[in-house]
Amino acid sequence: MLGNKWFWLSFLVVIAALITMSQTSLPREDMTILEKAVHSVYTPLQNGVNNVRGHWGNLGYLFSDKRALQSRIQELEQRNARMSIDNQALREYEAQAKRLQEMLEFKEDNLDIYDLQAAEIIARSPNNWSKSMLINVGANDGIKQGMPVIHPDGLVGRISKVSSNSAQVSLITDREMAVGVILERSRETNGIVEGTGSSVLLRMNNIPYYSSIEEDDRVITSGLSANYPKGIDVGIVSKVNREPSGLLLSAEVKPAVDFDRLEEVLVITNYHPPEVDVDEEGE
Amino acid sequence: MMRYIVLALLPFLSIFLQSTIFHHFSIKGSIPDLVLIFVVFFALFSGARRGTVYGLLCGLLEDLYMGHFIGMNMLAKGLTGYILGKAQGTVFKENLWVGILSVAAGTIINSLTMAFLLLANGSGMEWEVAFTTLYQCLYNLLLAGPIYLWYYYSIYDGLLRTTGEN
Repeated sequence: MLGNKWFWLSFLVVIAALITMSQTSLPREDMTILEKAVHSVYTPLQNGVNNVRGHWGNLGYLFSDKRALQSRIQELEQRNARMSIDNQALREYEAQAKRLQEMLEFKEDNLDIYDLQAAEIIARSPNNWSKSMLINVGANDGIKQGMPVIHPDGLVGRISKVSSNSAQVSLITDREMAVGVILERSRETNGIVEGTGSSVLLRMNNIPYYSSIEEDDRVITSGLSANYPKGIDVGIVSKVNREPSGLLLSAEVKPAVDFDRLEEVLVITNYHPPEVDVDEEGE
Repeated sequence: MMRYIVLALLPFLSIFLQSTIFHHFSIKGSIPDLVLIFVVFFALFSGARRGTVYGLLCGLLEDLYMGHFIGMNMLAKGLTGYILGKAQGTVFKENLWVGILSVAAGTIINSLTMAFLLLANGSGMEWEVAFTTLYQCLYNLLLAGPIYLWYYYSIYDGLLRTTGEN
């Protein structure tokens, strides 16, 4: 066997693959020429499919049930009226909060101070092992690696790779992703939510046994993280489990964003992470 | 020559379809692995050595597209091509069930290798992976039949037939 050239060739290929695997497991600043070449071929095709799908989607409205649409419009009008009233109340709270912040000299870090770049999803991960998506904005639109990506429903992920006209977003559901979080209700339990590889399940680990965490608690970004601003919805606690050691709890978290139906996202382009000593992020 | 062009286009188009259209028809969030199906069929008809090379190249293309853990899909698909290629000459390829069951075996080998390599790289693993693999296996089996029929006829009287250059 040792005299067989195929054996040695296979052995070299395996060693080379293991080395590149280990080298590319960490975030990289730039893509290799081969990766850029592959993306430059795929991106226009994927953009094309996305455009065609958009046109067919519009055509679909012509065939929709008119009665269902009217009922939907009525429902949305009612919701709009309700939200206008809520909005008035929220404006009052906002003004009050700003006055209090000024009094206490709080640094403003609300989501509304960030610049958002809208993007359409043109492709997703071609396998079930990693969770990522490709968006139709890239370096030419000012997108940079590490920028947080959100949706009105909550946190989506962050930019992991950028090419000239597209960018890859690593989703928080990916196994390699971790997000620093707190519970919105109690503002306690600084924990880490990790992706499980499933688009409907996140895992919150290392929660102290005395935590008041319970089902239906909303989990938001803690802001201590170097990668995401504070206060973005991550998900809702669906189940709390006691770890075998008995000293720690873990929780299953249902993501706030429906990743299977996501079509558009927003990239935060001017987020400057706070300087922190402890690197809380997993990736 | 046409055979090689088609063999190169198959994984390219498969990745394109898997990253776009198939996400709208996923089963419980799982999409099929067309690249793997073609690696399995190629190995079944061409043997272990060629199956390994084709698996390695297809996996490498997928890895370059993903840009993360480059080499992982390459090794998993190369190994799948090698093992399934060993069956060449020992199975009755005229039986459709051979193609379908080979895809089932290929999906399991590929998934186990991927899980092993991910764990070896320190990545976390949940039981969800087993369900994802199960759904992917079912999806692959659903597509394996028609693809196998197309592949079989293409080998003998179509785009994939050998024209004497081998």
